[in-house]
Amino acid sequence: MGEQSYRPSGHRHGRGDFLERLLRGLLDAMDHAADAERLAARPGMLQRLDPRIKTLGLLLLVVTAVFVKSLVALAGLFAFATALALASRITLRRLATQVWTGVLLFTGVLAVPAIVLVPGDVLVAVPFVGWGITRQGLRGAAFLIGRAETAATFALLSILTTPWPQVLKALRSLGVPLVLVAILGMTHRYIFVLLETGVQLFEAKRSRIMGPLPGPERRRMAMASVVVLLEKSLHLATEVHLAMIARGYRGEVYLLDDFRTRVWDWLALAGFLAVAAIAIGWQWLALSGAPR
Amino acid sequence: MQTAAPQLSTGSVFELVDVHYAYQDIPALNGVSLCIPAGQCIALLGANGSGKSTLLRLLAALCFPDRGQLAAFGTPLSEERMQQEALAYDFRRRVGLVFQNPDVQLFNPTVFDELAFGPLQLGWEKADILRCVDAMLAQFAIAGLKHRSPHRLSGGEKKRVALASVLITRPDVLLLDEPTAALDPRSQREVVRFLAGCRGSGRTVVTATHHLDIVAEIADYCFVLQAGRLVAQGVPVDILGNAALLRATQLLDAHNDSTPHP
Amino acid sequence: MHIPDGYLSPLTCAAAYAVAAPFWFVALRKVKDQMQTRLVPTVALVSAFSFVIMMFNLPLPGGTTGHAVGLAVAPILLGPWAATLAISIALFIQALFFGDGGITTFGANCVNMAIVGPWVAYWLYRLISGETPLTSPRRIVAAATAGYVAINVAALLAAVQFGIQPIFFHDAAGAPLYAPYALAIAIPAMMIGHLSLAGLAEAVISGGVVAYVQKTDPRLLSRSAPGLAASGGGEAAAPPAGWRPTRALWAGLAALLIASPLGLLAAGMAWGEWGVDDFKDTAVRESIAQASGNVLPPATVPQGMERLSAFWTAPLPDYAPAFMHNEYFGYILSAMVGAGLVVVAVLLLATLLGGGRMPRATANP
Repeated sequence: MGEQSYRPSGHRHGRGDFLERLLRGLLDAMDHAADAERLAARPGMLQRLDPRIKTLGLLLLVVTAVFVKSLVALAGLFAFATALALASRITLRRLATQVWTGVLLFTGVLAVPAIVLVPGDVLVAVPFVGWGITRQGLRGAAFLIGRAETAATFALLSILTTPWPQVLKALRSLGVPLVLVAILGMTHRYIFVLLETGVQLFEAKRSRIMGPLPGPERRRMAMASVVVLLEKSLHLATEVHLAMIARGYRGEVYLLDDFRTRVWDWLALAGFLAVAAIAIGWQWLALSGAPR
Repeated sequence: MQTAAPQLSTGSVFELVDVHYAYQDIPALNGVSLCIPAGQCIALLGANGSGKSTLLRLLAALCFPDRGQLAAFGTPLSEERMQQEALAYDFRRRVGLVFQNPDVQLFNPTVFDELAFGPLQLGWEKADILRCVDAMLAQFAIAGLKHRSPHRLSGGEKKRVALASVLITRPDVLLLDEPTAALDPRSQREVVRFLAGCRGSGRTVVTATHHLDIVAEIADYCFVLQAGRLVAQGVPVDILGNAALLRATQLLDAHNDSTPHP
Repeated sequence: MHIPDGYLSPLTCAAAYAVAAPFWFVALRKVKDQMQTRLVPTVALVSAFSFVIMMFNLPLPGGTTGHAVGLAVAPILLGPWAATLAISIALFIQALFFGDGGITTFGANCVNMAIVGPWVAYWLYRLISGETPLTSPRRIVAAATAGYVAINVAALLAAVQFGIQPIFFHDAAGAPLYAPYALAIAIPAMMIGHLSLAGLAEAVISGGVVAYVQKTDPRLLSRSAPGLAASGGGEAAAPPAGWRPTRALWAGLAALLIASPLGLLAAGMAWGEWGVDDFKDTAVRESIAQASGNVLPPATVPQGMERLSAFWTAPLPDYAPAFMHNEYFGYILSAMVGAGLVVVAVLLLATLLGGGRMPRATANP
């Protein structure tokens, strides 16, 4: 099944063998890091914000997008996400290729049958089959797609305008335990190492054989690589532990960040809060107007 | 902050007496006795699997002898003693080890975190750490890499970051495992130039290597290991001139007659 | 199976976080006790490993490929607590970094894929492999079965999470606010793919990895065979035995997990499955009738549903505020009760396991 995901430069998805998929994974991960580094260096609205405030604010907006019960408010949030992207020098083209199409392909396909499957007031009947397109179905599909698109856009903005290690450090301010922040940082570091190992493993194997591999052989290779990667992981864990001990590690985790908040950050946070409050309040206003 | 140059002492930094060590059942060191004087630059020579890396790990107190005695800075070193907070703190501050594999040495998400790791463990003040990190970045010409992830660095850059991350705590003793392995010639030169500069600075440096061509430049004295035993020691001129020894220890190709010139 | 943001209501998400939190807490404690100062590097590397194997796309017999999650591989090789931790961290990075799975739905994804899946796989693997030696072929069958069942249980849970959305979360006109499909659609839609391709991929990779490990380094299997730890690899850091004393507890928990969605299903709902109030509203009844081929839904609320609704609100005193007497509150309450049961179970388990090794109470099962 296809999974919804950000697509850095289009070399994800599609079929392809195991090596290609791993290779794509590695390239994706590298691209992401490189992209975020480049975009994070641009002078833009989100880039200027303290990573903690930014992460907090964007998370709040993701949650708001899930919370709202009005399509108007949802559309407003989506517009706000787009405006934030533009103010942060992230092009619509990037948003469209990296998140909007992907989400639309995954969620859209999933949501379309809802317009006839959800019972409700029939607006139009589909010719020949006689299924009724219901208002409730349309609204339901719109909610699903709107929420998925909006939430994914906010989430992507956060990682495109902040180098990944800083996102993790910012999580500390959201109450994530220190030890988990350290683990997440190190996990991220070693995903690249293991992906590289995986790719090397397959390239080495592939260079020694001609033509496509038969299925059973490829399956055996997959198993073997899982085990090799596990052994490499456990070996690296032991070695890294020694390298940490050698530099004075005693099991206590410390974290140093260079974050500084300015007035501007607090204003931005107030802005995020206001947007969230209006989006949620909108639904309340709309409800109070409607007959019970 | 302390002064850069550590005190020149007349005593020995490390003393090993009949040290044995085995990984599970595979012996790695078989009765090694040697003495490393303070302020000296030592080359630890040997083919792959000769026990160089194991010896470095013993010197860094990452593993401990199965048999025999190991002393550092005049006091015996053991697993129990390293459990003592004060002793461990002092030892880790004074001894730095650079691992061969950059994937092991550089375990932090960014270069900045890598450099800050040691000082954080030693409990430095935040302001001091920030200042020292910037100073080290400048000294090793890696300021532009501050927020990079290790996987986005070249081999030479990784080695510079590794050195900077260990040297930032100003250790008296620097242990290096194959520092020139898997580097391009230019990066190799940089490392050699740095190690050559350590000679006479008062810092004790132990470099494990099988690159004979760099030995004369970086070392005051050599130890040669083979199959977990110390088979020879001497000044670089003598060791490098002894083609029979180098061939016997597989440091020199048996069919290659040219000996490296000191 | 990674649920994106927007598919689940905030309440469902919060409930899932509440269920997952105690597992994370205990897992971190357990793994920390095992690992001491090795905690950070070991968990990080193992999580990176989980992340990478989740990218594997496995060639299957018949020319198709399947996407394996490693739900059984991780607990068999690492033990269940470490697996819960590692898969959770891998899912977190996938969500934040790749957009695979949402941020609000991270808790739900972890419940499905990092908690229930691996634990089902772990116990099933141990149940089937029994006391056989680490190199026994029975362990390959056990691993394949564990993988197949675990991914299907996880998929079923996800389907139930989808399927309950339209029951509880719709606007005044009946438009679903989140995942729009009822259980009757969500469950078959999710399960068809998982009972076939994804389940097969998971079975193949789980069985295959165990077969491979048996040939190369069987000691890697000792973490999920605590009874054999002595003969296997020395200090196998597996959870202490205690399987027998806690079996009843786990069986109960599993029954609870399975029974609660089935209970909803069995409560006599029509395929439209809207809330109790909707059945009483004539306009809605007519629209449901139109959508379901002119079969008028019963004028009275199906009894099972009424009872279910009453079950949640009954214990509340009559003078409780009005908002407490609706199905939303019932839902929160059920989530809280469910989470509470899980917490109690975990705490009980932790005491049982933590308080020294349990003596083997009975000689024979």
